[in-house]
Amino acid sequence: MPAAGNFVRHGVRKTGMETEVTAVAGFLEGINGFFAQSGAFSPFLSYLVYFTRFMLPVAAVAVLTRCVYSMFRERYEPEVWAYLDLPDGARVPLRSWECTVGRSRSADVAVDSPAADAAQLVLIRGDAGVWTAYDIGRGALAQINGEEISDEGARLADGDLIGIGRAQLRFFNLTEDERAIIAGRRTAPGRIVAPGAMFRYVTIFQFLLLYQQLFYCGEAHRAQIALAFAALCLVMWLYFFIMRAIGRKGFEVEALAFFLSSAGLSVAASSAPEGMLKQVLLLLAGILLFVLLGFWLRDLKRVKAVRIPAAFAAVGLLAVNVVFGSEIFGAKNWLSVAGVSFQPSEFVKIVYIYAGAATMDRLYRGKNLFVFIGFSALCVGALVLMSDFGTALVFFATFLVISFMRSGNIATVILAVSGAGLAGFLALGVKPYIAQRFATWGHVWEDVNGAGFQQTRALSASASGGLFGLGAGNGWLHEIVAADTDLVFGMLSEELGVIVAVCCVAALIILAAFTVRNAAQARSAFYVIAGTAAISMMMVQLGLNVFGALDILPFTGVTFPFVSLGGSSLISCWALLAFIKATDTRKRASFIMKDPLKMRDRNEFAEREMSSGTDADEDDVRDLFDRRDRKRGRGQ
Amino acid sequence: MKKIKARSYFAMLISLGLIFGLCVFAARLFSEGRDWVMLRANRNVFNAGVLDTGTVVDRNGVVLASASGGVRSFAGDADVRVACLHAVGDYSGNIGSGALSAFDYKLAGYDPINGVAALSGNGGKLKLSIDSSLNAAACQALNGRRGAVLVSNYRTGEILCMVSLPSYDPASPPDLSQPQYEGVFMNRCLGAAYTPGSVFKLVTLAAAIENVPDLYSRTFTCAGSVTVGGDVVRCTGVHGQQTVEQALANSCNVAFSELSQALGADAVYEYAEKFGLLSSLETSGIATAAGSMEKAGAGTSDLSWMGIGQYQDLVSPIAMLRFVSAIANDGVAKEPVLLRNARSGSERLLEAAAAEKLRAFMSYNVAYAYGPASFPNLKICAKTGTAELGDGTSHAWFVGFLDDSENPLAFTVLIEKGGGALAGAGPVANAVLQAAVGGA
Repeated sequence: MPAAGNFVRHGVRKTGMETEVTAVAGFLEGINGFFAQSGAFSPFLSYLVYFTRFMLPVAAVAVLTRCVYSMFRERYEPEVWAYLDLPDGARVPLRSWECTVGRSRSADVAVDSPAADAAQLVLIRGDAGVWTAYDIGRGALAQINGEEISDEGARLADGDLIGIGRAQLRFFNLTEDERAIIAGRRTAPGRIVAPGAMFRYVTIFQFLLLYQQLFYCGEAHRAQIALAFAALCLVMWLYFFIMRAIGRKGFEVEALAFFLSSAGLSVAASSAPEGMLKQVLLLLAGILLFVLLGFWLRDLKRVKAVRIPAAFAAVGLLAVNVVFGSEIFGAKNWLSVAGVSFQPSEFVKIVYIYAGAATMDRLYRGKNLFVFIGFSALCVGALVLMSDFGTALVFFATFLVISFMRSGNIATVILAVSGAGLAGFLALGVKPYIAQRFATWGHVWEDVNGAGFQQTRALSASASGGLFGLGAGNGWLHEIVAADTDLVFGMLSEELGVIVAVCCVAALIILAAFTVRNAAQARSAFYVIAGTAAISMMMVQLGLNVFGALDILPFTGVTFPFVSLGGSSLISCWALLAFIKATDTRKRASFIMKDPLKMRDRNEFAEREMSSGTDADEDDVRDLFDRRDRKRGRGQ
Repeated sequence: MKKIKARSYFAMLISLGLIFGLCVFAARLFSEGRDWVMLRANRNVFNAGVLDTGTVVDRNGVVLASASGGVRSFAGDADVRVACLHAVGDYSGNIGSGALSAFDYKLAGYDPINGVAALSGNGGKLKLSIDSSLNAAACQALNGRRGAVLVSNYRTGEILCMVSLPSYDPASPPDLSQPQYEGVFMNRCLGAAYTPGSVFKLVTLAAAIENVPDLYSRTFTCAGSVTVGGDVVRCTGVHGQQTVEQALANSCNVAFSELSQALGADAVYEYAEKFGLLSSLETSGIATAAGSMEKAGAGTSDLSWMGIGQYQDLVSPIAMLRFVSAIANDGVAKEPVLLRNARSGSERLLEAAAAEKLRAFMSYNVAYAYGPASFPNLKICAKTGTAELGDGTSHAWFVGFLDDSENPLAFTVLIEKGGGALAGAGPVANAVLQAAVGGA
């Protein structure tokens, strides 16, 4: 089975480091000695450990309910970014940064003008607060102040007349005061559930896990496990205080990810306690990438600029992988650079979503989707060449999500599915072991020591744990090959109980609901598409992992997001989380959203600065004048 | 943008799929979890494929077997270990009807809430209805002879004593290839069917009570033998003129030959079937050996022998126990169970009046023929059976019950090739019942 996502260190450099190594070993021994003498884990305390079993699901459920409560309890106050006055006198607020205008009812601003196209215009608000109109009509032409719109689009100024068909609309940007009022009214997180509440429950969860692990693990590994959990907890709170320091209050998404990562750390402690510190370092790398990607996503302009080069880089990386990749567990999806092995496909996932998402203006222009289809075909094809069919399936499902999000065309999706079905049918002929997987599906109990080896053990272990589990570190399933990646749901059920295992699945479902809810308030289609695609990708992967292990789907051997042991997949999951975090537009919630109060200074209300002559070009000067026009216009 | 926002609900479709999958898993876990746990590779329950958890105790809490951390132990007393071997079973699974095999899922201690986790860390506790001291007494009374002893409470169905010999000490197994251990893994109480001989006359008589109108006014004349269909049906003695009561007490073959011919093969077979003697029963879920009969032609000596419990008749001791339990319990058989306080089903086998008649006959048997002195202080009702095997040897049966509301005990004793029933099986029954009544 292709156990995905693990860094394997090949070269061991001993010289010069030996003294350090012995010092570290001495330090660890010291901690172990302390633990052994403390008596906190003596067998007499088995009743205490038995009791903590029941507290663990309580803590897990508390984390989830706090997050859900904080995410969904409050009604979102809609944002308004500009207005359009319709010919009939109605004033339509523009509620996102990307709006379509056209005859169709599904357009954001529907205009009753038979001469207009169904989707005639798309209005885009730039990061700097400047609105641009693009004509996406197929036959009819739109005008701004009587002039046709060029391919580069036309700047919209306050009071501009937009001609669509025979209708005339007037565009108004917000005044500074209006903007401030709306910004002030926006929903902020943390009013109902304190920002730190979720992290406090996660900490309790971590502490319970740690205590059980230390109780059940061998004495020699206690120090490593304790340090790893301590490091995770420390980083979590460090993240919290840094984000609070820059005025952010939304922590639900991170709390869920830290919750899952804690469960993952417990899996690592059961399965490979000697590699704990490495695992936690990889986790830190993932969190770092999450923050970096998050900051990168703040600025849509630069995000858009790098999409195509990123796509090329991804394809290149996969190509290198296909040629130079090494084979582990039957799939040639590993690449070894400078003694460190990693799975390029995991990182391509990030780029795939990054390049696949697009802003509204791109969606309506040219053969955009065909470029994306080509890109997808290259990615999936490369994965098939590497025999990594599980990941190929995940990519394909994500492709369906993105192409549906972009085109809204069910027919395309059905066509793609049937095409893939045909390809899959052919693959069955070429790769007989895939057919074998399908033959085993639903019949695992007929061959418990052969084809159903892993699934039957996962089922047996998960039933053994009951609702509350046998205690973290007190299972046996981790001894089965690749259990810490492929059968992770079984490990969770066995050691932490079915409740916690289900909570881990529920955490992603909650993230999905959150993403969908945020979409209603989204500013740019890019964030909606990327967020939806990222959570869909994780959920598809989760479904394949969990239900494959439980014989509800054929066994594929992909990883459980955040929980499965391994570096590449862990890092890529944290990075994907940035796309989800980017959909959160609540006031001062996400560090990926710029603070609108600060944004105001630099962006659409930056006239004063610009007029003082730092960087003002002609357009900005015109803006300044237009404002006066608009005020006059409003007075009429 | 509106459209894009609406399309994001696509993600909720995927999460619906996840929720659906979890529901499927939950449903399967609830219905099949008990079986999943019993996978031999599950180290929470098994160690190298051998049950490694749980404790078996008798009705008084005496530990009969327990396993944990790869260490398996049995009862402390060697006699108890030997006497309870077939009730408890062995960890290798050779004795399939033993508790360690038949109730291994209970020993795993699985329940859907806690899985196999237990505060003691040692699986489930299984309480058998068996009284190990009673088993030891029965084993001692059998004194090494092959056979089966069953005692149950006919009001509750709980089996109090279940011994099968040959047996061995599971704590130090001998070389089982020796001839005296032939068939040692079989629990003769549940898993074997024997020629019933004269104990079957109770069945024929039950049929006659309901189908021969002048039964009580008839006079049965025994001249030591009778010729039926050209063959001689011999009797054990010359009983002269008898009432039906005396005929049963004498276990007179001539009289029962006459009744069999009067009833016909179909009626005898039908009653045996109705009494559950011919089918496989479930004792706490353990399937027991089915008895069998062949219908003989009308007017033949085979038909006579069929009603006497010879010919092709085969009955298991547990089915016999159930039948006499029904006679004792006003015609209602409480299903025999092996687990303490287990719910026992019940089935009416006889009309209360017929049960009352049979009880009176069996009480008369002891008073008139067997001698109450052999069963001091016991209100015993019984029937003997000496099942001839055709090679000069015979199985000794002794079945019955105590007509005593303080001690509602039914019993079946069978000794393979044990010779005369009363001399062979009677003292065994007496010893076990004395122990049961004294101990209770």
